Amino acid sequence: MNEGSPSASVSLPHCEDPGGTAASAAPGARRVALVGPPNAGKSTLFNTLTGLRQKVANYPGVTVERRSGVVTETVGEVEVIDLPGVHGLAPRSLDQKVTRDFLTGRLEGDRQPDAIILVLDATRLRTHLMVADPVLALGLPTLVVLTMADDLRRRGGALSPEQLSAELGVEVTLVDAREPATLDLVRRFLRALHTGGKELRACPAISVADAATASRERGRPLPVIDLFAERRRRARELGRSASFRDPRPSRITQRIDSLVLHRLWGPLVFLATVALVFQAIFTAAVPLMDGTEALIATSGTFLTELLPPGWFRSLLIDGVWAGVGSVIVFLPQILILFAFIALLEDSGYMARAAVIADRLMHRVGLQGRSFLPLLSAYACAVPAVMAARTVEDERDRIATIFVAPFMTCSARLPVYALLIAAFIPAGPLLGPFLGIRAAVLIGLYLLGLVAAIGTAALLKGTLLRGRPAPFVMELPPYRFPALRSVGTRLLERTRIFLRRVARIILTLSVALWILAQVPPSPAGGPPEIGDSALGRVGQVIEPAIEPLGFDWRIGIGLVTSLAAREVIVGTLGTIYGVESDDEETLELQAALQQDLDLGAAVALLIFFVFALQCMSTVAVMRRETGGWRWPTLQFLYMLALAWAGAWAANTLL
Amino acid sequence: MGKTRQPPPGADHRNLTDVPLDEEVILVRIDVAGEDIEPLLERGIVPGCKVCPVRHSPAGGPTIYRVDGHLVALRKETASCLCVRSALEAAGVLDPN
Repeated sequence: MNEGSPSASVSLPHCEDPGGTAASAAPGARRVALVGPPNAGKSTLFNTLTGLRQKVANYPGVTVERRSGVVTETVGEVEVIDLPGVHGLAPRSLDQKVTRDFLTGRLEGDRQPDAIILVLDATRLRTHLMVADPVLALGLPTLVVLTMADDLRRRGGALSPEQLSAELGVEVTLVDAREPATLDLVRRFLRALHTGGKELRACPAISVADAATASRERGRPLPVIDLFAERRRRARELGRSASFRDPRPSRITQRIDSLVLHRLWGPLVFLATVALVFQAIFTAAVPLMDGTEALIATSGTFLTELLPPGWFRSLLIDGVWAGVGSVIVFLPQILILFAFIALLEDSGYMARAAVIADRLMHRVGLQGRSFLPLLSAYACAVPAVMAARTVEDERDRIATIFVAPFMTCSARLPVYALLIAAFIPAGPLLGPFLGIRAAVLIGLYLLGLVAAIGTAALLKGTLLRGRPAPFVMELPPYRFPALRSVGTRLLERTRIFLRRVARIILTLSVALWILAQVPPSPAGGPPEIGDSALGRVGQVIEPAIEPLGFDWRIGIGLVTSLAAREVIVGTLGTIYGVESDDEETLELQAALQQDLDLGAAVALLIFFVFALQCMSTVAVMRRETGGWRWPTLQFLYMLALAWAGAWAANTLL
Repeated sequence: MGKTRQPPPGADHRNLTDVPLDEEVILVRIDVAGEDIEPLLERGIVPGCKVCPVRHSPAGGPTIYRVDGHLVALRKETASCLCVRSALEAAGVLDPN
């Protein structure tokens, strides 16, 4: 039933073309899906199996995205797909729907896997076995991998994989997913995909899921609660047959929880963690960013000296180097944020942070699970919108997605940094602790946060009004994060970021440069910037932004920043760079000081706090909300807020 | 769908929010309607499971429960939909094992 087409198409319909071919499976490669509940060790197993031969569809959240990789040490290539963590196959959440559709071959443009590796946490066997029923009922050859063997042993638990295998009718293996040496049976299973072998068994037993289907066909669906009670009964029966002995509660987890969930220390640890993340982004990243910037500047100067003056040098240095360089500088910052998110997730603290945050989030109409997407949004709204899939309640998910772009993403930082440096004096505000500039930056972050909270409350009181869904959150035991897995994720981020830079920003930088060069001036050579095609675009929209104190140059920046906010810095660099006649580019800050007064500068800052200047976010929102309704509403709402805020600032100051 | 059996008449059943820390109880009934019940069921919060409150989180946030050996956080509003009875009395009556 599961012989799909031999083509190895690897794009989910909702994913952009992942690009790159390093990890593409050969046509005809066998395909196996990793399925299991969240925190069962799926991703760790995936990383151990595939190493760096992975690819990720465009923007991965933490575990909400489909990752595929290739294992070659088997007879032929096997493509492994890491599906999102799920508790079942009922299409209740997006993750579960995607998983079910993928496993049953109903996902458009993607073929059904040839086999399944079901990954369950051995220390939580009885609960995790409840997922086994619907998965085994699919009838695909399945291998059950029980992870956390070391943890089970250490905490005095025990089980017999052989007995469980006899009971389920498929192969069962107990592994430590970080230890390649324990994965023998997994490799044998992958090899059997090509050679055929006894490992490739599908579950023969009639399962509860079948009983449910049968009862539905008879027109009397089994009440969902009875279905689960039956699954639980069967899972316990299986546990007994496999001589499963529950491990003792993890003492380390108890001790850490007594601190991080403590009435007084808990919130302090939470605040300290958030502060540490921000501190790392804004201070620890600085030397790295300076280094990157220096590297770009040095290489630019080197190229300038190397190349003869002319249009090619201008395109390369003023177009490509200036545009791409201004964005690549932010890579260290983004990576540091993602390293923290990965460490917090993998250690188990993120779930506790969600519990601590729930009370506050609930008050404004969100929930604890919104915390991770919103924290991610401080790096970039795109992965944040995708990470919101872990918010199961649909209304809460939409609200989370809607407010995520108000969080100050790192693409706004270059704009803030430029304008603050140009217009805000550097004096102290609170002695040595807080300078005026730092206070303005914090103020901009808070303004975004306040807008997010207000918007969430507004939405939950109007469009998304409804009875709150039950809040239930699993707290996995604490574990030392697998550094290899964190490293792999950071590499993915780097690849994705560079691809984005290469695609959007390089293209835009070149396009802008060209628009600034045409039509040629009567004397030959590039025109004055005001006479160029680029200048005309700015002049067309000038009336709309004049009340905000902006002229046509800023107008061009606002238009190009729709591609990505940080592009405005490169654009202004190009505009003022092109405008200056001599070889020495006018210092951008000084140029802005000539063009904007304080009111207009603050207006521009506020415009960037509120406006949804990011087409990638709009695109991913359309995908995640299934239509144009929410992204359109969001774009217009944020634009109105931005215009009004900027107008107020320009008028009052 | 979603509504569960009524408890036997006269049974000693309590609201989960009334159970003191560290007392183990057995889940009898979930008073959550429709599809909202599934997130609970999928995480093992199924009638018959053992539940033990282990920790209150700060400032009236969700309470942490041990459910059949693993930790789950439930908001007060959610926990108040769970009807439980003492583990001792219920032993052998409702727990299928």
